[in-house]
Amino acid sequence: MKGLFAVALGVLTAIGGFVDIGDLVTSSVVGSRFGLTLAWVVVVGTIGICLFAQMSGRVAAVSGRATFEIIRERLGARLAVANLSASFLINLLTLTAEIGGIALAMQLASSIEPALWFPVAAFAVWIVVWRVKFSIMENVTGLLGLALVVFAVAIFFLHPDWSALGSQLLQQPSPHTDETPASYWYYAVALFGAAMTPYEVFFFSSGAIEEKWKAKDLAQSRVNVLVGFPLGAVLSLSIAACAAIVLLPKGIAVTSLFETALPIAQAFGKIGLIVAILGFVAATFGASLEVTLSSGYTLAQFFGWPWGKFRRPASASRFHAAMILSLVVGLGILLTGVDPVQVTEISVVFSAIALPLTYLPILIIANDPKYMGDRVNGRVTNAVGLIFLAIILVASIAAIPLMIVTGAGA
Amino acid sequence: MNDRTNLPMPPAVAGRVMDAGLELLDRQVLDPEGVPVTTVDELELTTPDDLAHLDPEKPPVVQALLTGPILMTRIFGGRLPDSRFVRIPWKVVADVETVVKVGVAADSLDASWTERWVRDHVIARIPGGRHDPE
Repeated sequence: MKGLFAVALGVLTAIGGFVDIGDLVTSSVVGSRFGLTLAWVVVVGTIGICLFAQMSGRVAAVSGRATFEIIRERLGARLAVANLSASFLINLLTLTAEIGGIALAMQLASSIEPALWFPVAAFAVWIVVWRVKFSIMENVTGLLGLALVVFAVAIFFLHPDWSALGSQLLQQPSPHTDETPASYWYYAVALFGAAMTPYEVFFFSSGAIEEKWKAKDLAQSRVNVLVGFPLGAVLSLSIAACAAIVLLPKGIAVTSLFETALPIAQAFGKIGLIVAILGFVAATFGASLEVTLSSGYTLAQFFGWPWGKFRRPASASRFHAAMILSLVVGLGILLTGVDPVQVTEISVVFSAIALPLTYLPILIIANDPKYMGDRVNGRVTNAVGLIFLAIILVASIAAIPLMIVTGAGA
Repeated sequence: MNDRTNLPMPPAVAGRVMDAGLELLDRQVLDPEGVPVTTVDELELTTPDDLAHLDPEKPPVVQALLTGPILMTRIFGGRLPDSRFVRIPWKVVADVETVVKVGVAADSLDASWTERWVRDHVIARIPGGRHDPE
């Protein structure tokens, strides 16, 4: 049990990247339309986020500097403001979507209108951010989020045609004639961007400081990264696989969380559905916490305010005020009646700005002996890091044209 | 301008020479307890007597670290009236590492007035605001 809690930070961080409300639905959409032909993107994205999350965790543990502090130090005020604006908007849109996601998951459980759940969900997120210790928060949400493992188990109970599933993994690109290459690549970029979304490193590096990691805890940081993110990827791929097995052959289009849960209902009936809904609630709630805190972390670290849940709210007043305001704004956006899942699609645009401007400074600082002493990056890490920066840049440039051409994947 | 030989010799001062733009600007300022005060948004230098002909013997020195609204004019241009400058005088700076350390408590500096204002008027008034998380 202790071992499980030791990786809670990694697990919670990965939930926001791989199984938040946008990804729960997107994975299912991808599975139902493209089968497993896009699985390779999730694998590439996982390697990328592992690499950079570990770098940001190492910088935080060794130098005590969280990611947005070093972004401002290395990029200067102007580029850092560009990144802050983009990252903050991603956080805000994602936060809006996640609170909507909690409400949608609660609707599945209770049949009560999501609009009635919005304020309850936002208030619950705030209470946790306001009063609950960081370690308890990450342990509880990380553990409950594991309920989504039901999707991985379901694959075996659905008795799929393994060879067909396997051949999808290798068939590139889409085997389906009615899907255009543009929408294939749009979803490739969206999945990659989601796996490497910047709030993960903001949250992970700040969490490392919340947990007071020092240079001696580097092994723990590595285990967090190597367990948390691949686990998130497995959950996300399982959801896609379930959709590919059940929904794809029947031509069922995924438009909401309800269809995401359908394969589980087929495999395990009611009990499975209850577990899946528990996982949905925990994952969206965990992701809400992650993005709420990330919006506070980014602002506070850019402006040099005191921050962190290890302080009393009164000792980090602007940090808490910023998070309260974010929640209120997110709730306001939701009450206009937008579809929470579609909100996450807009954030792809801002990722194009935020991704390169986040990962470049991390790579630079991880090579600076003034911060890192003898813990600077090795050659292999740098080489792989540079390759990923190139991929990130290509994905960033391609994101917006692909979104326009495909009408956001429609 | 790139001809390094034309540059004046650095003044003979005790201590280490640093690139203020690189090692002071945009750095985090911490108080002795490790509490963040602000980020260095801009530097205030002494104005030389004759701006056209700088005297290499008496180069401008850093008078204060600036913060607050000055960040907006640094990014977007324009000028800020002197009354809106928020200064951390250079004499309270204790050390410059990867962060700038000051020798006085964060709460005693003008630079943290917004933190105190939000604390006293908003956060401390919400139930639980003054307690440790549980």
